[in-house]
Amino acid sequence: MAEANRMWASASFVGVLIIIGLPLWWKTTEVYRVALPYDEINAFDTDSHFITTELVVLANDEKTAAKMAEDIAKAFEQSDIIKLKIRHQKLSDSLRQTLDMVADEQEALEEVAAAFDVTGHNTFHVVQRRHLFQNVWIGGERVAFFRDLKASETLIRALSSWVLQPLLLEGARSLTADDARRVRLPSEQHLDLLMTVVHPRPQKMKVVFDAPAVLEDYVGSFVDELSYLHNVTLKSQWLHLTEFDFQAKQVLSPSGPQWWVSVEADGDEEWELDGRGLGTIRLAAYILPCDVTPLVLHDRGSRVEAAVPAFMSPKWGGVVLLNPSCEECSKGQYVVPVNMLMGTFISQLRKLLGITDKVNIPEAYLLPLDSVSPRLWELDSLLRLRTLEQVTSAQRSLKSLAKLLGEIPNIVITDKVGSYIQSAVQHAHEARVYCERGSLVEAHEHARSANAAAETAFTEPSLLALLYFPDDQKYAIYIPLFLPIMFPVILSLKNLILWFKGKPVVKEKTD
Amino acid sequence: MWRPEFITFFLLFATLIHLNKGDEFREEIFIKPLPPSHLYVYFQFITVVDEDSNYKHSHLAPQFLLEIMSNYQVDELHLTLTEGQWKHSQWGYPILDAAPGAELYAWFAPDVVDIDNQWKKLSSTLSGLFCASLNFIESFNTISPKMALWPTGATTMKQNVTSHLRYASLPREIVCTENLTPWKKLLPCGSNHGFASLLNSRMIHNTNYHSIGMHVRRICDKNDCLETKLEVKQTVALVYDFKIIYSSDWSFRKLFGQGLPGACPLSSSSKIYVDITSNNTYAFKLSPEPTNKILSVRGGSDTELAVYEINNNNTEMMNIVAKYESPYKITVKNSPPVTFNRYVLGYGKEFGGIVTELTNNYWAPIDIVLLENAPWWLPIQLSTLRINGEAESNLIMSQYYSPGRSRQKPYHLELLIKLPPKSTTTVTIDFEFVFLKWQEYPPDANHGFYIGSAIISANLPTAKNYTSLPITGSTFDSIVNASKPWYPIVLRTNGAMVSLPTPDFSMPYNVICLACTVVALAFGPLHNICTKELVLKAVGTAVSLRQKITNIFKKKIE
Repeated sequence: MAEANRMWASASFVGVLIIIGLPLWWKTTEVYRVALPYDEINAFDTDSHFITTELVVLANDEKTAAKMAEDIAKAFEQSDIIKLKIRHQKLSDSLRQTLDMVADEQEALEEVAAAFDVTGHNTFHVVQRRHLFQNVWIGGERVAFFRDLKASETLIRALSSWVLQPLLLEGARSLTADDARRVRLPSEQHLDLLMTVVHPRPQKMKVVFDAPAVLEDYVGSFVDELSYLHNVTLKSQWLHLTEFDFQAKQVLSPSGPQWWVSVEADGDEEWELDGRGLGTIRLAAYILPCDVTPLVLHDRGSRVEAAVPAFMSPKWGGVVLLNPSCEECSKGQYVVPVNMLMGTFISQLRKLLGITDKVNIPEAYLLPLDSVSPRLWELDSLLRLRTLEQVTSAQRSLKSLAKLLGEIPNIVITDKVGSYIQSAVQHAHEARVYCERGSLVEAHEHARSANAAAETAFTEPSLLALLYFPDDQKYAIYIPLFLPIMFPVILSLKNLILWFKGKPVVKEKTD
Repeated sequence: MWRPEFITFFLLFATLIHLNKGDEFREEIFIKPLPPSHLYVYFQFITVVDEDSNYKHSHLAPQFLLEIMSNYQVDELHLTLTEGQWKHSQWGYPILDAAPGAELYAWFAPDVVDIDNQWKKLSSTLSGLFCASLNFIESFNTISPKMALWPTGATTMKQNVTSHLRYASLPREIVCTENLTPWKKLLPCGSNHGFASLLNSRMIHNTNYHSIGMHVRRICDKNDCLETKLEVKQTVALVYDFKIIYSSDWSFRKLFGQGLPGACPLSSSSKIYVDITSNNTYAFKLSPEPTNKILSVRGGSDTELAVYEINNNNTEMMNIVAKYESPYKITVKNSPPVTFNRYVLGYGKEFGGIVTELTNNYWAPIDIVLLENAPWWLPIQLSTLRINGEAESNLIMSQYYSPGRSRQKPYHLELLIKLPPKSTTTVTIDFEFVFLKWQEYPPDANHGFYIGSAIISANLPTAKNYTSLPITGSTFDSIVNASKPWYPIVLRTNGAMVSLPTPDFSMPYNVICLACTVVALAFGPLHNICTKELVLKAVGTAVSLRQKITNIFKKKIE
């Protein structure tokens, strides 16, 4: 009987310390984590995103329309990123006659716009027009003209390298950065645009330039067009007496002495203006001191041919160097050439915001920009790009977070972060559905929300609340208590098991 | 590096040519010898900006600051970072007084709803801008003074809306080069041109007292005040000790390590004022000769000023030198109308008290407002307030007391006192010491805890020792003959330090180790008694291997 008592006492020690104590200790020292949709996150496949785009082919006769549609469809069949939904249709007789009658392409464009709805973000019209000097003509609207069936090859090239840009989109969803991605700023809903006029010698020269008004007039109308992509705040400031150290070399040229500066030497100026910060585009106009004018940029010995010396720093902004002329230097007053300066800024801004330069295609004519506003189909292309980029980025962030959670056990996931992750997963899913359906604006909205939520979740400081409370500290507190207690309890297990099995317990002698 | 490629634009807009906006920048230095052994040097850089709806565009004023003012809807802002203590009784009054450490106060626009939130955002932003610990400003160290502070700028409000005022001071903040560098970046001329080039951090931190400040307010554009402008005033106040510069003859080279390279090319006026009033008693000779001399009669006291107008086409460094004729001479101290002193009373770790002694040296009574601001861990009780040792005093004309709340709100006491002529009034208030939670102790808790300065606000009847600018003025020429019925001044007393009961911080770990050891030691026998039995063993039974080994050890021990 006494033995049974002893054994039960021993069993209750085991029960309290091992069966209740250990799990309780384990549970109470656990890192808090909300349940996350790991399966969904791991199932993300960023390379499978595609966008459905509508293309309407309008030709003078049914046969041409069908053939052209077939050619285009065949050309884009291979692309897994753009799925074309092509409709073909014969032009109505009245519209065809009107198109034949008007001489000017711009007017023809208006006629097409009157007859068809060309305001859809994801619909592009390809219209036959016999009186063309080139095979293909593209203006600012979502319409391309082609001459006849022989133009199909040129048209396909123009569509793929100017309008739809499947290569660029692939760059947006893949991991490797292409040239355009290296230059453009990451997608941000709110951007600050800060124009800085750097005037190193205010004592020597007076500068005539109304920065706020000029910025508002030129850049203001440009960024208004992008309002559904970014919400841009325009700011301007003057910096006086700040000099860039160019290490310019004086070179004698036929038109007089010039100062040469290597384009490689320009990298450091951005630090003097302002460091890298998220969500700010910096445009700097540097008024060159008179003792280093005229200054030209050269690239490995050859002069960079440009109207104004200017350079861009990818993802940061652009710098334009303004050369006051000799007369202006001697007069001590400099009137900034506003058109040239702002034109350069706009061209830099286009690249920074993600609009690529269009390469020349023989036999295809691209109407040059006549105002600061971008072409409508460029905006659509940008919308596609930003949508894909943000969905991809959101999914990548979530995937990295999931992977990180697997690797670092100390990361806390609070309810708030959990809800961000849930909403990011949800929005990414919605964005994908809208992309496949071809509703660009909705897809972009969802993609943006997904990206914002994923970024917030990923950068939330509460994740790291316990990062500096490593396991060894946890054990350091408990081991002095548990280790000496656990020894006799664990040793008593042997006897306990033997007793339960009904075997004779080996009695130990104690003094 | 990207090669610029340009798209030709045929821009339709007409070329817009306008002259730059009417931003104006002025810089001034005011030098006043404080006989017998100190020299006060005060810099002010004033940028006046046209009132703009949102301040997105700036010309001479710093863009960041304008954005802060418009984003947080601040009407008036004062920030000072100070090291050292101004000795009012010895040096007279400074142009702008500042509390030791960091001090920030601001009035928000009347339409701001959530002021506390804006205040928090404002202090955090300024903290980043000036690399100061202003982000430690929380609700538990912020007060809204009711009587002591008044807006100095042009406001649309007829009265002082104190619900829109927030005041906080961080007496422990240490001011250093890292604060001066961002401060200098806000100047249009930077740190290499104009008067700012004299602010060499190696020299200015080698002073008895230095204070950098930033004061933003609205001023009237014209006399009718229908339109206002924004005035951004950046100040530096330095007090040099002749003992530190090893001579009583001072020069720019000795004070700043270099001469003045000329005026800032962007400033519309660059002037240096030297107060030569003390020349009569304590003669010195200035070289080069000043551009002109002004005699200013203000409130019955005469001030003689030597003015240097600096232009920016100087080819060589300018060095203003003052040579004293007889170096050691004892002068009669000329006390300012109101002087004060503050100290902590008590012994032990239970109770203590703060004493503020206010002396009126003037022949007529002077009304002052005394603001005591005690942190929540130093509860001051209104019932212990004594004026000259009496609980009921007819010297108090008005009082405001707001009790603190633990970890949420500081204690705030304001008294409007009529100081009798030619006498000293003692204000005493007692406090208890509070135990803090272990995480609330700062690093090096045994160093002690700082109590912020009290604010003393007065309208002085005399301009003796008074150097401040009149409220409508922004440059020094406004003090010339600026006699007024009274002269407003806001002064800060010295801070104080208390030593709170501080525990031994390694104690919790020791307790854990000790308790665990005791428990473990007790557990072993307890477990043995419960689960094991003492059994007698007959002699001569087979000895197991284990027992053989234990026997060997036993023998050895024996």
